[in-house]
Amino acid sequence: MPGVLIVEDDKELREMLKISLIRRNFTVFEAVNGKEAIIHFKPSITDLVITDLIMPEEDGLKVIIKLRELKPSIKIIAISGGGKAGPGSYLNLAKALGANALYSKPFSINDLIAKIEELLNNEQHT
Amino acid sequence: MLISDGNDYLRFLAKEKDISDQIINHSRSMISIINRDYIYEKINATFCNAHNVVIDSIVGKSCADVWGHETFHNIIKSNIDICFSGKTIRYEASFSTPQLAKRYFEVVFRPLSVETGEITHLLVETFDINDLRLSKQSVIDKEEELRKFETNLPIGFLRCDPDGKILHANKVFLNIMECHDEVSITTMNLKSFYPEESFFEMQYDQLIESHSKVFGRVSLKSCRGNEIPCRISGFLAFDESGTPSFIDFAVEDLSRELMLENRLLQAQKLETIGALAGGIAHDFNNILATISGYSEMLQDDLPKDSALSGKVSKIQSAVLKARSLTNQILTFSRQVEQEKIQINVSKVLKETIGFVKSAVPSKIIVKSRIRKKDANVFADPTQLFRVFLNLMTNAIQSMEEEGGTLSVNLTVVEGKLVQHELNKDIVSDEYVLLTFKDTGKGMEPSLINRIFEPFFTTREVGKGTGLGLSVIHGIITEMDGEILVSSKKEKGSVFYVYLPVSKKYPDFSGKRDKRKKILLITGDKHESRILSLALGNTDYELIYISDHGHLIKVMTYINERPDLVIYMSDSKQIQPEDLVDIFHRLNINTPCILITDPNQELLEEKLLNSGIVKQHLIKPVSLKEIRNAIQISLK
Repeated sequence: MPGVLIVEDDKELREMLKISLIRRNFTVFEAVNGKEAIIHFKPSITDLVITDLIMPEEDGLKVIIKLRELKPSIKIIAISGGGKAGPGSYLNLAKALGANALYSKPFSINDLIAKIEELLNNEQHT
Repeated sequence: MLISDGNDYLRFLAKEKDISDQIINHSRSMISIINRDYIYEKINATFCNAHNVVIDSIVGKSCADVWGHETFHNIIKSNIDICFSGKTIRYEASFSTPQLAKRYFEVVFRPLSVETGEITHLLVETFDINDLRLSKQSVIDKEEELRKFETNLPIGFLRCDPDGKILHANKVFLNIMECHDEVSITTMNLKSFYPEESFFEMQYDQLIESHSKVFGRVSLKSCRGNEIPCRISGFLAFDESGTPSFIDFAVEDLSRELMLENRLLQAQKLETIGALAGGIAHDFNNILATISGYSEMLQDDLPKDSALSGKVSKIQSAVLKARSLTNQILTFSRQVEQEKIQINVSKVLKETIGFVKSAVPSKIIVKSRIRKKDANVFADPTQLFRVFLNLMTNAIQSMEEEGGTLSVNLTVVEGKLVQHELNKDIVSDEYVLLTFKDTGKGMEPSLINRIFEPFFTTREVGKGTGLGLSVIHGIITEMDGEILVSSKKEKGSVFYVYLPVSKKYPDFSGKRDKRKKILLITGDKHESRILSLALGNTDYELIYISDHGHLIKVMTYINERPDLVIYMSDSKQIQPEDLVDIFHRLNINTPCILITDPNQELLEEKLLNSGIVKQHLIKPVSLKEIRNAIQISLK
């Protein structure tokens, strides 16, 4: 069962993502912010990370950089809610830093899951 | 005086003569006495001194000898003759004497007569008026200086009496108060310019106390009845007896200052709202993501086509609508990144005008004048199109009932002008200025201030979110441009859009042209706008129109045929079958995606067999469905 780490500060949203992933037989790990994500990251059993970009205590960009350092083969999906810093610029930056996919809230959960499966399947093939 | 005898009389006469001689001699005027033979009989010391002569060289000589025959015959003789006929002659002359440089004199010829009344001699008195004249001239010069001061300073000056009757007003005051009849101003009373007469009384009382006072901001009423915001200062002068004699006022026109102040306040207000809204939008999107996620999960768990599934679909479309709304909010609060490229403004403007012209009712005329065809700006073309379309649509709507003219102009102005006009920092030395002028209903002054406010709308509930102009304002501001409006009720409005000219970046216009063009038609403006926002900014260029009735015109006259038409039908308007017929008649084979209401009875076969309708979707549709349908249809 592939392991997915969800990094998201909004409790309800995090819960919804967790439930939708569990339904599809993913093992889910949670972190409320970037700092927690980096501290509790388990490279051996985490295959993919979904991270929000704007959070208190270490924003998503740092998460992307750090986690990729810890596990170069990790797949990363960045999500952003707009406002504050502006979704466009952050998302593009996320891509530049190595995020595999970008989603702008509110996104289709089925799309997201399809993407996760795609990214993980590709890994299996290579 | 009592004269006792002949000797006394003679002595009196001698004494009198002596005194009169002394008077003549000591007079500061040059005095001479001439007889009927034009001969000098007497001159005084002042005369001698002034001309640097001795008495004997003049007395006994004729005027001709003294002044020269020519001067005598041309000038002096006639004066003397007139004087001998009984008339006193007085004139001013300037001449230099051996002793003095050129000075001004007053010359008087006075006839002298004896007891019999016969004029035997005349008295020529030449009085030095140089100093008098100089000081007169000085006074005139000072007056002139004051007048210049009064004319050049851009402040209105006026003087009135204690009752308010205007004694004098300068040109600036007349201009400020929109009075163009200088003569009549002195028949006017200052009180008539005040909102109420008591105002003047109040100011007068304050002046009695403090003599001079800055009254601050007062709204005056101009000769044309307009309200002019002014700053007024006054000074009350008293005469020697302590009675108030006149009041001097300085009147400054504050219109421009107030306008700039207002604009600053508006900008700050929008910034605040923007920051607030942006912050809310962020959290909002999180909540929407949660709703969206769970409703999708619900969908997965429910049998397709079930009633429950249909309801969940509705939740999803609501989420989509909410999402585009938050996007609009983010746009107006300038937090959405757009895809900016260097584009030719006149090209986009022309496209928009062409588009609008074809869809506009005949009683509205659209005129355009593009003075600079090659001006580029750095902007998102879809956003720019949206700005132009929105402004033109607003203009057309204001002329819906009576018809009218929409004039669109494009020119390029100097950055310095922009800096001065708008009082803001400029980012380019040239700016594109677009004006959108209509002859429609116009707006009340109180409304003008608020039209760029988000959620402010004058339309009925349900007809428009009120976000249009605030989004436009956000887009323009994000481009470092500026949008201004002036309007007069019943006359119309003018929107001025300033955009910095961009010269730095390479031209990526080729990129834009490769995108597919989609024409979106719905019956609901609101729906169109939101859908276009939601679907736009991706891989296609989306144009929308909201009136089915103009579809034919658009399809016939639009310059570039779209690659795809998305037709969201409203059962009250054109029936889809009719649409197909229309397309056939016009030889249009643009593929079409039809989106209809679930309850519409349609000739399905006819539609799908027509070859035009590639996809038929039933409402409610999700963005995903539309996107999929677009992808399939464009293949």
